[in-house]
Amino acid sequence: MHEMGIACSILEAVERERIIHPGCRPTKVAVRIGRFAGVDGDSLQFCFDAMVAGSSQAPLELHVEAAENDELDIAWLELDELEAIQ
Amino acid sequence: MIHPIERKVLSENDRVAAGVRSRLEIVGTLTLNFIGSPGAGKTAFLERTLQLLPSGTSAAVLTGDIQTENDAIRLARHGFPVQQITTGGACHLDARMVESHLWEWRFKEFDYLFIENVGNLVCPTSYDLGEDGKVVVLSVAEGEDKPMKYPGIFRKAELMILNKVDLLPYVPFQPELACEYARTINPDIHIIQCSSLTGEGFGDWMAWLERRRIAKRHFSPNHEEAHLQTTFV
Ligand SMILES: Nc1nc2c(ncn2[C@@H]2O[C@H](COP(=O)(O)OP(=O)(O)O)[C@@H](O)[C@H]2O)c(=O)[nH]1
Ligand SMILES: [Mg+2]
Repeated sequence: MHEMGIACSILEAVERERIIHPGCRPTKVAVRIGRFAGVDGDSLQFCFDAMVAGSSQAPLELHVEAAENDELDIAWLELDELEAIQ
Repeated sequence: MIHPIERKVLSENDRVAAGVRSRLEIVGTLTLNFIGSPGAGKTAFLERTLQLLPSGTSAAVLTGDIQTENDAIRLARHGFPVQQITTGGACHLDARMVESHLWEWRFKEFDYLFIENVGNLVCPTSYDLGEDGKVVVLSVAEGEDKPMKYPGIFRKAELMILNKVDLLPYVPFQPELACEYARTINPDIHIIQCSSLTGEGFGDWMAWLERRRIAKRHFSPNHEEAHLQTTFV
């Protein structure tokens, strides 16, 4: 149920990284979700895709990695250099 | 190009929660975050707790719901300051909501701050509110297996309140099994069985609360007299 809010926090973090790395475009973000984190990966994926679709951040993929404890971390971000895209 | 980040998804919430925690630390207020399903008896449990607090104790309650002021009205009857947080749809409280309501009280010193989270066993688990501990409230009509089905909150709570034990003669529920499941998830969890209707079990709870409060005061910078008190206990 709160996966929408979690997706929103991830997108904010991605936006922050985009500003820190001018000339780059985020294409994929990875999160690590522990089995006790209280966040459902599928539901998060659904919310994330719904929020990205049609936004200025599209296309942006979410990659979910399962973890053991209560982790709820952003692990890494894939950045493409803008020249490379064009 | 892969760029490692290694940041908590809820780092912004955690930052605000850390601020709330350090303010509450300064005034030595023991803060507990109550989490349980809708109807588990969180409000009833807190109402009875307020009734049983020794005179001279200061306490305040923040109660979260998606809609209505009902719980705040129930809790305010006991003569302690209460604020309702209506989330307008969100299934959990976050640190910013708690912070802004505590500003209404100017982060005044209380012995206890009780936070009743929005009824939900999942979502509130992820959000640190700056509390000293999480308390999970489970009632006997919900089934013994809830700790296995919703392990997150049972893992993070330091205390489990097994409420509505007065209903045990009427519902097939094995308290020992529920406790065993909770300990499978969290071997350190402390468990108190009680009834907010009859008051059974509240002696243990009030004693637990008092012990936690003294320990908290002991480590708070502002409470020399608490140091003296605990030395002689
Ligand atoms: N029999 C019984 N009923 C209880 C007990 N605690 C709460 N209730 C009832 O359970 C219902 C839900 O309680 P409430 O405090 O509103 O639950 P909350 O949603 O968790 O805040 C109410 O009808 C209460 O009167 C209890 O210990 N025994
Ligand atoms: Mg309630």
